[in-house]
Amino acid sequence: MTPEPLTVRSITPPECRNCSASVPVDEHFCPQCSRIQSLGRHGDYFAFLGLPRRLELDSQELDRRFRDLSRQFHPDFYYNATPSERLASLERSSYLNDAYRALKQPVSRIEHLLSIEGLPLGTSDQGNAKVPPSLLEEVFALNEELDEIRDARESGADPSVLAERLAAARRPIEAKRDEHERALAEASAQWDREASAGAAERRAALETLRQLLLERNYIVNLLATIEREAAAHG
Amino acid sequence: MGKVVGIDLGTTNSLVAYVGERGPVVIRDASGDALLPSVVSVDAGGTVFVGREAQRRLLTDSSRTVYSVKRFMGRGVDDVRDEAHLLPFRVGGEAGGVVRIGVGGQEFAPPEISAFVLRELKRRAEEHFREQGEFDFEVDRAVITVPAYFNDAQRTATRDAGRLAGLEVLRIINEPTAASLAYGLDQKNRGTIAVYDLGGGTFDISILKVEDGVFQVLATNGDTHLGGDDIDRLLTELVITELGTAGHGLPAETVQAIRKAAIQAKIDLSTADEADILVDRSPSLPDGFTRRITRAEFDALIRPLVDRTLAPVRQALEDAGLEPHDVDEVVLVGGSTRVPLVRRLVEELFGRAPHSDVNPDEVVAVGAAVQADILISGRREMLLLDVTPLSLGIETIGGVTSKIILRNSTIPASGREMYSTSVDGQTAVDIHVVQGERELVADCRSLARFRLRGIPPMPAGLPRIEVRFQIDANGILSVSAKELRTDVEQTIDVKPSYGLTDAEVEQMLIDSFEHAEADFEARLLIEARNEAESVVHATGKSLRRPDFAQLAGREIPPSEVAVIERALAALKEAIGGSDRELIHHRTHELNDVTKHLAEVMMNKSLREALAGRSVDDV
Repeated sequence: MTPEPLTVRSITPPECRNCSASVPVDEHFCPQCSRIQSLGRHGDYFAFLGLPRRLELDSQELDRRFRDLSRQFHPDFYYNATPSERLASLERSSYLNDAYRALKQPVSRIEHLLSIEGLPLGTSDQGNAKVPPSLLEEVFALNEELDEIRDARESGADPSVLAERLAAARRPIEAKRDEHERALAEASAQWDREASAGAAERRAALETLRQLLLERNYIVNLLATIEREAAAHG
Repeated sequence: MGKVVGIDLGTTNSLVAYVGERGPVVIRDASGDALLPSVVSVDAGGTVFVGREAQRRLLTDSSRTVYSVKRFMGRGVDDVRDEAHLLPFRVGGEAGGVVRIGVGGQEFAPPEISAFVLRELKRRAEEHFREQGEFDFEVDRAVITVPAYFNDAQRTATRDAGRLAGLEVLRIINEPTAASLAYGLDQKNRGTIAVYDLGGGTFDISILKVEDGVFQVLATNGDTHLGGDDIDRLLTELVITELGTAGHGLPAETVQAIRKAAIQAKIDLSTADEADILVDRSPSLPDGFTRRITRAEFDALIRPLVDRTLAPVRQALEDAGLEPHDVDEVVLVGGSTRVPLVRRLVEELFGRAPHSDVNPDEVVAVGAAVQADILISGRREMLLLDVTPLSLGIETIGGVTSKIILRNSTIPASGREMYSTSVDGQTAVDIHVVQGERELVADCRSLARFRLRGIPPMPAGLPRIEVRFQIDANGILSVSAKELRTDVEQTIDVKPSYGLTDAEVEQMLIDSFEHAEADFEARLLIEARNEAESVVHATGKSLRRPDFAQLAGREIPPSEVAVIERALAALKEAIGGSDRELIHHRTHELNDVTKHLAEVMMNKSLREALAGRSVDDV
């Protein structure tokens, strides 16, 4: 579960506290006096890291930017700075760490993209919502099987047989998850191709991503349920 | 500005180091020892002893001597009930509150005991700098290390200890990370490192990625109550059990003698296949005790303890998304990694031999010194990016934890949560912050309770209060809050669950200054008395010589003897009091009036020595 991106409220006008020069929102340092800037309203991890808003991302490039920016922001290097610069360093470092964590994994990267494109998943959509229609059949079968396994366990059935049944129940769900992950990869590539296309195409690509992600989260939750059931068997 | 040092504040031993012009230096005492035993003893007169002297006093004045206090830092009374039974000192405090250590009639919070150790290290470092001919030798700032798996309360307690010792704590850093920094100093290569740190009382595992001088911790795990102390306790219990009825109700001094023998045997077994646990004779153990133990028997005894380190290692690897064979280097830190079984099991788990070319005792202090140097110099070649070891959460309805910052998040890290009110016109909200991985608040560690005050009165549910949780680079939490509709910053009252309030630390600081002055006075008084007593002793010895009358009759008139007797009586009277100046003064007086006597004695001794010998023999 990834927290929603931080949209830190702007407490100062976008100008340098040190020299009052105006500073574009994506600049980390004042172009005029090169002091670190307090973190104003910001919500776009891609822009913060200087990356295009694309889902296919060179992991080594991300690591490199993370290290470079850490070297520029980290509180270690602001020990003798003014209180406002120290605060700015703390805020920027924390924000950088959040950004890196969110963009590092493909799923949280998609979640972040959706939230900055105005289609956030929201906290109630983390896999607990109603059954996605495309999964009705599997979910129905799984719940029936889990009920039977629970009953069998309570009446003292052979644990190894039950473990086998659980594993069997798992397989179609895992297949669904793999299928969704492939579909997500495909939809991600689609988004990257449509990035410069018209608003309608972009919207469609995002809607596809969102739907797939909701279903995928639902599947992950189902797998966790099976996991808990397996743990209950000891 | 004074000097800056790095301090490894260990369970068993502590060290201090700094970065000089030619690189890191571990500061040693006059006898060349870098390790300062983390032992503190307070005698009946209130004089505080730290280190070797305190360690000696464990065998003679156990109940006034405290060791392994790190295990009690930031802990509650209820946490430590089980382990207090073999300790010679009192472990108490109010139920639900912080631990208090009882020494004689006094009570100390664990940070106060740690502060004595820190003060001794500060003094040692200052002496070193003075000897180096430094003009400005005062040590006023330090980086102090803690186990990576220390929670917020334990870190805060360590920072409080630094403050109480008169040090500005520049940074709290994690021991395994510090070790990696020291280890990586002369390594140009990059890669994945696992640091396995088994110390006197704590166990940590950290997995790091090193690239371009950035030491990025990927995951950390551990156990803050697992270490060499536990091995010592197993061996001590073994001896007490085998003593049978003789082992019942042993005085604390004898238990300490057994523990000392057990520690020696443990150390011997690191290189030998068998060793003797040799307990000296004492009134309660008239025959002493000897027990041979083989390496195999020792390994079987401690195996469950060492096995307890393996689950955290596997968890850390899983959290880092790595398999054991992905790790390029395994570094062993902490004295307990000298135990051969530990080395063997670590090697089996990672499928590669661990590095042993670093000194496992000193590497953490060196890393702390390097970090201190980075902070004050602003040099950017190296950067540590550590993580928070435990998830941070808040209590929600039904006693369930809602996680706000996940474990292994790179620090500094921040999170936020929205709150509202449930009653019309409500102006305050209570928030309970916990640390841990479990679903239920009751299973996590309570960190603090906050009360948000000053919410503008509004209908229930209307206020939108944003609470920001910030974990800084020390791994320590701070909280701020704002009501978004009115943009009003909220006041927060913090009540730490297992820590000292700022006011308590302030009071201790004031007390410790007064105490420090009393300490110093007490030490000087003891020295003055010792000197006076040796003069009294020597004078008395001369006066009581069987041949004194004969000597005196010839060379020392009765009036002179009377003067000496008067000065002697006057000094004896002064020793009985506590006026140091008076003792000094009368010691000098006695010295003056016995000068002639001393010469006479000297000549007589010489004559006796020369008697019967020819001049040529001399």
